[in-house]
Formats: sequence, C-alpha cells, structure tokens
Amino acid sequence: MFDPDDTIVAISTPPGQGGIGVVRLSGPMAEAVANAVLSFEQDLKPRHATLTQVRDSPGGRPIDQVVATFFPRPNSYTGEDVVELSGHGSPVLLRQIVAATISAGARLAEPGEFTFRAYLNGQIDLVQAEAVADLVASVTPLQARAAFDQLDGTMTDAIGEIDESVFDLIVRLEASLDFPDEGYHFVNQETVISDLEEIVRCVKHLLDSAGRGRLIREGSQAVIVGKPNVGKSTLFNQLCGSQRAIVTDVPGTTRDLLTETIDLSGIPVTLVDTAGVRDTLDCVEAEGVDRTRGAIGTATAIVLVLDGSKPLEPDDRSLLLESQNGRRLIVISKRDLPAAWVAADEAVIATSDDVTSACLLDNKDVAVVREKLSRLVEGNDADRDVPAVTNLRHIDLLRRADSILGQALESARAGVTEELLLAELTDARKTFEEISGTRPDDAVLRRIFESFCIGK
Amino acid sequence: MTSSTAFDVIVIGAGHAGVEAAWSAATMGCRVGICTLSADTVAHMPCNPAIGGTAKGHLVREIDALGGLMGLAIDTTGLQFKLLNRSRGPAVWSPRAQADKRVYAARVAELMRQQPNIEWVLGRVGRLLVKGDSVVGVELEDEFGNTGGQELRATTVIVTTGTFLNGLTHVGSEQTAAGRVGEPPSHHLAESLKALGFRWGRLKTGTPPRLDRRSIDFSRFDQSLGDDSPVPFSFLTEKLDRPQIVCHSLYTNQQVHDLVRENIQRSPLYNGQIEGIGPRYCPSLEDKVMRFPDRERHQILLEPEGVGVNEIYVNGFSMSLPSSIQEDLVHALPGLQDAVVLRPGYAVEYDFVQPTELRRTYESKAIGGLFMAGQINGTSGYEEAAAQGLVAGINAAQQVKEEAPFILERSDAYIGVLADDLTTTGCLEPYRMFTSRAEYRLLLRIDNADLRLTSKGRDIGLVDDRRWKRFEERQARFKRNVRAVQETTVTVGEGKRVRASQALSRPDISVETLLEQGELRLESGSDCHAFDLWSVESEFKYSGYLKRQNAKVKQSQRLEHRLIPESFVYTGVPGLSLEVVERLNQTRPETLGQASRIAGVTAAAVALIAGRLSR
Repeated sequence: MFDPDDTIVAISTPPGQGGIGVVRLSGPMAEAVANAVLSFEQDLKPRHATLTQVRDSPGGRPIDQVVATFFPRPNSYTGEDVVELSGHGSPVLLRQIVAATISAGARLAEPGEFTFRAYLNGQIDLVQAEAVADLVASVTPLQARAAFDQLDGTMTDAIGEIDESVFDLIVRLEASLDFPDEGYHFVNQETVISDLEEIVRCVKHLLDSAGRGRLIREGSQAVIVGKPNVGKSTLFNQLCGSQRAIVTDVPGTTRDLLTETIDLSGIPVTLVDTAGVRDTLDCVEAEGVDRTRGAIGTATAIVLVLDGSKPLEPDDRSLLLESQNGRRLIVISKRDLPAAWVAADEAVIATSDDVTSACLLDNKDVAVVREKLSRLVEGNDADRDVPAVTNLRHIDLLRRADSILGQALESARAGVTEELLLAELTDARKTFEEISGTRPDDAVLRRIFESFCIGK
Repeated sequence: MTSSTAFDVIVIGAGHAGVEAAWSAATMGCRVGICTLSADTVAHMPCNPAIGGTAKGHLVREIDALGGLMGLAIDTTGLQFKLLNRSRGPAVWSPRAQADKRVYAARVAELMRQQPNIEWVLGRVGRLLVKGDSVVGVELEDEFGNTGGQELRATTVIVTTGTFLNGLTHVGSEQTAAGRVGEPPSHHLAESLKALGFRWGRLKTGTPPRLDRRSIDFSRFDQSLGDDSPVPFSFLTEKLDRPQIVCHSLYTNQQVHDLVRENIQRSPLYNGQIEGIGPRYCPSLEDKVMRFPDRERHQILLEPEGVGVNEIYVNGFSMSLPSSIQEDLVHALPGLQDAVVLRPGYAVEYDFVQPTELRRTYESKAIGGLFMAGQINGTSGYEEAAAQGLVAGINAAQQVKEEAPFILERSDAYIGVLADDLTTTGCLEPYRMFTSRAEYRLLLRIDNADLRLTSKGRDIGLVDDRRWKRFEERQARFKRNVRAVQETTVTVGEGKRVRASQALSRPDISVETLLEQGELRLESGSDCHAFDLWSVESEFKYSGYLKRQNAKVKQSQRLEHRLIPESFVYTGVPGLSLEVVERLNQTRPETLGQASRIAGVTAAAVALIAGRLSR
C-alpha cells in the first residue's frame, strides 16, 4: 500500500462510454510493463505517440488498438516514468487493458494515488492537499474505497466473515505456541484441516460469484432516498424497467439496499434503492436505515424523493439537510394527487437547483427524471483517479488469498507445525486487509486472554 | 557531607537488568559503579524460581550470544531443564529451567566480582543530578534515609529500580510501602524522576504463597520431570550434567473456588484497593476463578526454590487475599492439608515510566545520558529485564566511548522486538515477551542466536576471545554442513533418490533420521552438538519460508533505516491530520518504520513524512 516502488495503473478518463479512454501507468516499471503488453517490438520513444496493440499476455490475444506514449521521469504528471495507453472508450476493453498490465506486474492504484505521487515528487504543491488529507484521515489508505464498496455490502461482509475465521484459527494456533504448558488443547490437526477447508470453500465461493460477473460493477452509483412510502421503489423499478423492488402500501417494505445497473445515455450506473429513512424500533429496518445513510455519504448522485401529497415532515427535512452537499436531484412525487405543501415547504427547496415534480407511474414524467439523472451523473468528473475496475482488484486479491490458503491447507494435511501454518495464514489476512480496507484485528494476545485462562 | 567519585556509568539497582547493564558496560571498558541496598539481593528472583519459557528462552539465548550473564548463570545453577514446544518446529523451541535462586544470585555476584571495572556502592540513591538536559550523576540518601548524602559523578546513569518506585504491597487489607516484601521502597528517587517530567503509570503484579517442604505430602501429586538430555542456555556450556530435581503438579478444586468467591470482597484486586493494572497472562487466583467460572480446575505447580531449601513456590496460585484465607485455600488442596505457609502471597503496585519516553537504546529522549531498563519500563520478567539492562549498558558504554548507538532491529532479535514494542507502543499492562510478537519469528531462533548476534557483540567489545574463537569454529562448521546437505542425495520412500535438501522439507524427515540411516554425514563440534544440527535442519526445513521472511525484512528496511531527525516538526506537514500529528509528537518515533507502527498513523501519513524528509 502506497509503496512508491510499485508501478500503479488505473483508467484515468471518467467512467462511462466515451470516444477514447486512457489507461495510465506510473512507477519504476511503467515502461517494462507497457513493453510486456504491447505488440510493438521496439522501445517506446519518449513523448512520441506510437500506434500499436495491447495483448492480454505477451504474444497473446490482442485486446484493443491503442496509442502509447511514454513520459520518462521527471517530466510527467507524477514525476515518475509514466506510460499512457489511449484506447477505445469501452469500459470493458479498458478494464481488460488494466487487467493485462496487472498480470505484467503493475498494481491497481489507490484512489488519489497518482495525485499523491505527484505531490510526493514535488510535481504539484499543495494542489490537492484536501484530497490528500482525506486520504490520511482514513484509518487505512483503503478505507475510502472500502466505504464505497460498502454500498455493495455483500462483498465486505463476506470477506469480514472469512477473515474472522482465519483470525480465530490464528488465535488458537498462536496460543498453542506461546502457552504450551497450560493444559489446554487449543486446536488439533483435524480441526485445523476442517476449518481451513471451510475457509477455502468460502473464498472459492466468492471467487465463483465474481467470475459470473456479479461483482463486476462500474463506479458510478445513484442512490434513491426518502421517507418510507414516498415512491422510491416505484421509481427504482421504473428506471430499471423491471419489478426488482417489492412495492406495497406498507411503509418500511424495502429494508435493505437493492442495486441494479442501468444504462443512462450510454453510462452504466448502479442504481441503489434504499430503505425509507425514519426513526424505527424494528432492528432489521433500522439496519436498513443505517445503510441508507451510509449510501448517501458515498454515492455519486442522490435522488431524494419527497411526497407532494403531504406536508413535509421532520424526516424529510433531515434528509434534505443530509444530502445537501452531494450531487442531488429532488423528485416531488405523487403529482397526480392534490398538492399539500405549505409555503414553508416550498421555501425549503426554493434554493435547490435540480427539482422536478412527477407522477412516478407516468412514463413521460419518468423520462424527465431519467434525463435529469443522466445529466447529473455525466457531470461527474471528480474522481478521475478512481479506477473503474474496483472489483477487478478484489478478484486479484481473492485469487491470491485462495492460493495462499490452498497452500496452508496442503501444509496442514501434510502435518507441518503451527509456526509454518501461521506464516501462511498471516499472509492470507494481509490480502483480506487490502480488500476490506480495515486494519486487521492484530490483537491476537488480547483474544487469547479473553478466551482462555492462561498463565500461572 | 558531600564527596565526589567519578564513574563512566552508574547503575542504580542490581536486579536482572542492573547486573547485565553493569556487566556489559564494564566489559566494554567503562568504569562502572553499581548501587544496591544489599549485596544479598543481587539478581534476586522474588517471583518464579525459573529462567526462560516461550520467547523468554529466546531472549536468554540472545543475551548470551551477545556476551551477557544470564545464560552462563542459569546453566550452572539450574535444577531442572526443559525445552518447551519440542513437538513444534525449531523456531518456537524455548528453553526453561527451574533455578536454585540463592545459588543463582551467588553465581551472578561471583561473575560480577571477576570483572574488575565494577565497583559496588552500598546505599540508596535519593536523587538524580541533572545539569541542563544531561545527567551528571546521582546523590545517595544519608544514613537516616534523607536526601543530601554522598554525590557520585558519572557520564551516564542507568536506572533499574524494578518495582521499588513508590512500591506498595497488599495482603488483604494490609498495605505496606515496600518494593518487595521486607524491603522499603524508593520515594525520594521516584520524586526526583517525576520532577524531570516523564510520563508515568502504575502497574501491579503478584506472587503466590511459599510453603514449607517438610509439611507437604508429595505422594498425592503427579511428578513433573526435566528433559533426559537437557539443552543449555549458553553457547559456552558444553554439557549440562547437573542432577535434575522433580517438580509436582496438582489442581485447584471446587472448595478452593468457593472459598475465593465467598471472600472476593476481601481481595484488594476486587474491592478497589488496587489501582495498578496487572498482567493478563499471569492472572491471580482471584481472576482465574472470577473471570473463568466455567473452568472446573486450574493447574498448580510446586517448585522448589533451591536444593536444601525448605521454601516451595506454589506456581499458579498467586493472590493477595488476607493471610488467614490464604491458609484456608492452601489447606483445601489434598496433599497440602497440613502445609505450613512460610510467607503469604502478595500483590505489589509500583510506578513505571512510559517507555515511549525512551529511545531504542533505552536512553531518555529528554535527558541525555539517562537510561532506564527493566520493570521501571513497564515490563515483567527477569529475562525481559536482563535484555533491556544489557542493551542499556552497551549503549551507555557506546556513549561514553563516543561510538554509534547499538540498536537491534525487529528482524535481528527478540531483544530488538522488545525495544521497538516498548518505545513505540508503550505499556498498558506489564509487558511480557511472546513468540507471536515477533513477525520474523522463523528467523529468530534459539539455534541461530549466535549466528545472528555474536559478531555484533564482538564488534562492540562485549564478546571475549574465548567465545569468539568458539563462534568462528561453529560458524565455519555450519557453513560446511549446509554445503554437505546441498551436495548429498538420499533415498526416501520406495527407493527414490532425492536431494537431501528436498527430503528435509518433508515434515516426517529430520536431519537426525538421515544421520541415523547413514544417508547424511555432518560434522559436529564437541559442544552444543544439538544446536549445530538444528541450525542446519532449520535452514532446510524452513527454506521457502525463510526466503519469504528475508524478502519482507529487506522490503521493510526502506522504512526501518529511514531516520526521522529529532528536530522534525510534524505540525504543518500538509495532509497530516491533527490527531496523527498529536500521536507522532507524543512518541517522537526515531525511524519511519517506527512511525508506521504507531496506532492511527496510516501508510499515507508515513509517505507524507517521507516526502517531507526527502526535500
């Protein structure tokens, strides 16, 4: 993480379908990595555009025709060796180019890492101190990204569970090494094997689902929020063109985040339907509400739905406040019912720039919402450094974890001793750490003392 | 009355930290004064009569490899030797020995007397003499225990006062100001240190009752024996041929647990009388019963404190309940129903300096020439104390000789892990070494402690000619043996010929089996035969893992070797949050590696500091 000796790569044009897309490599190996994936046989001439092809592996299948440009250090954006590969704008092709460079030894850049390197190398002075400060404020460099991924919930939760099982195994193995004379049998070989089998099974399961493409999603996310029963799920279904969300008249029907990728004028956008925000005693619903608030914090765009047939309530007002800093579209729903807003309600949204009234069952009204939403998402160029292939990185790391854990399982079956298994398991946890962005619980000793009566 | 005597190094205290500090500085050519209250309590063992244990055994081997005392002393005075974790891999084998505590202390005192540069000062230090931001000596208390006694001048001072700073012992509601039972604490020195502005904390530790051997029915207990072919601590010990004694084990029972529960409000640990934080890895009987109510019994070991000594140490039974209840508890155990309690168990609370106030040399960051080592730094254990004493002594000597600081890294030794953990993270509870604290555990083994450290000890003048000659022979032999394995092919399974190096990576094949089958021929020295072979074996058994750990060490060096100047200003480094700046200011890390281990300091923050450093 943030190792300046790594060569990093990312798509550096905004997400979405465009005329061209640029993949940028930076670091000591930039030229070597480029040479490995390009079919061009000679060295790249500095600052000259070279028309060539990117292959998925040396001598392998061509992915795309690109223009490659090499900027030797220190005269580059980051101050390091940089190679830019301009290809066709398809997100799928760009992802494949990135994947090819990763197998040639590059690492996917962290959010803001190009800027960060530019700063470290004195290329920019305090230009993006704000962005850098945010980065430092996260518990780990990956937290920003992890917060983003949290929208998808399933992935980080699943990783968290696997990590916890590995940690639990580590604790028992460490305890047997450090406290051999306590009269405890902390763990035996059979348990280690069966635990590891289960862990490996879980990792493979995750990888399978990634292979089916479920985890490969694009970066842009639009989140629909609002009080219960204002029509969020109706809007979600209308935009998706399917009945994914269950729509009823009972407030609080949608309790978790529902996601679907839709095409907004050529830009794939992950649309997120959320639980209605209200104070609730139902704990499942409350969890859903918490996730909704999380989603508001990390989404590219927010669609706030307000019911036009009822006066605004405190829950509405707090949502208006919470979402005011984001890129936001306000939809006043139930235009077909008599309007019930009082003057004070109108005043609250008077300063908001993007407001539309709609009957969400009316296709023409929905088309207007769709149009406004696509403009909102398109205008997003804030996160240039954020690679669109977030989840490719996950898959890469998961494969590594899978191979390390497979090795550990083999070792356990062969009967190697605890200290060797621990070396493998510790490495496996490092990959989970990189995925989830949370510093692992390294308080092995604390857990041992909590779980066992140790010491004489 | 004020007179002045000048030393290079003054050591305050002659416990396990003090003696190693004095020994190393004196061996390196410094004139050392060691201040102690009584010549009878040199290298005293107020708690377990034992040296070593998991990870602690590693520390002792390392101390020995550098030229310290502890390994030599225990090898000649141990009563029972065991190599722990023998069923696991060689990286976690750890020696442990029961000690004849009085003979051990006498042996250490004898070794110290052979070192002509050490002068004994009998008396209690009352005050540190500081000029500007450097220490210049100490002032003893006068004969009435007041400040203002004799002044002793010194270039460096090493404080190793253990639990004596504002020590307070507890037996039930009975509280006594004492560093150990029967020995008054140091109040004046504590005040003098506090006046220098260090951050302090308060810790607690405890010890069990001692029983009279003659009143115990040993026939009721299981026996616990030492190893058949015991392994020494010191690389200089050729053979351990001392007769080994027997220890005994038993278990607590329901009656004991009930008694504890009934009287728990009389325990200073549970009624609020004790404020200091105790070690979780060494729980008192009260903690065992109250915190783990589901456990039906807890193991107890009866350990003799020496040959011809009647005191029996009741390992696993430490407590601070009133004496009368302690008697009832002892008598509730079958075989101990008539046991005579010679001394009740007690808890002791004491002040310690947050070791984040120190450099990895154990020199104070604020006061030049002032070093601290041992329990005063928040650690527990004789071995942890000795390791710190040794490093402090070496560095005091280096400073006197105007040589560079002597620092062991986390990848060099457990001694390095200890120094880095203490000075980076500080202590929230008494610190004990564990193998799980060492991320490079596979590299830091007892068999290669000499290969890792002896030449470093030689460089600074701590390793004498005898040890050096032996080491050179052993190192050459090791290299030849490794080559021999690389050049040998052996038969495994159904007549399959493979390289010996390959065969050894299998869990079921050891160097010993290959030697027995005549498949492999290796040289062995007359001494420490076992360690010789173990080093070779580890080299191949761990081969892939060692390569990976070595690669990680190499990768870490970029941060570990990047020094942060003392004058570095964190405030105003763009991108560093206020919280991170505060944490960094509190610890003032010496290297980027250390900075990266401070809680809350992110990789990005480290990169920002690195960026600023390189401008």
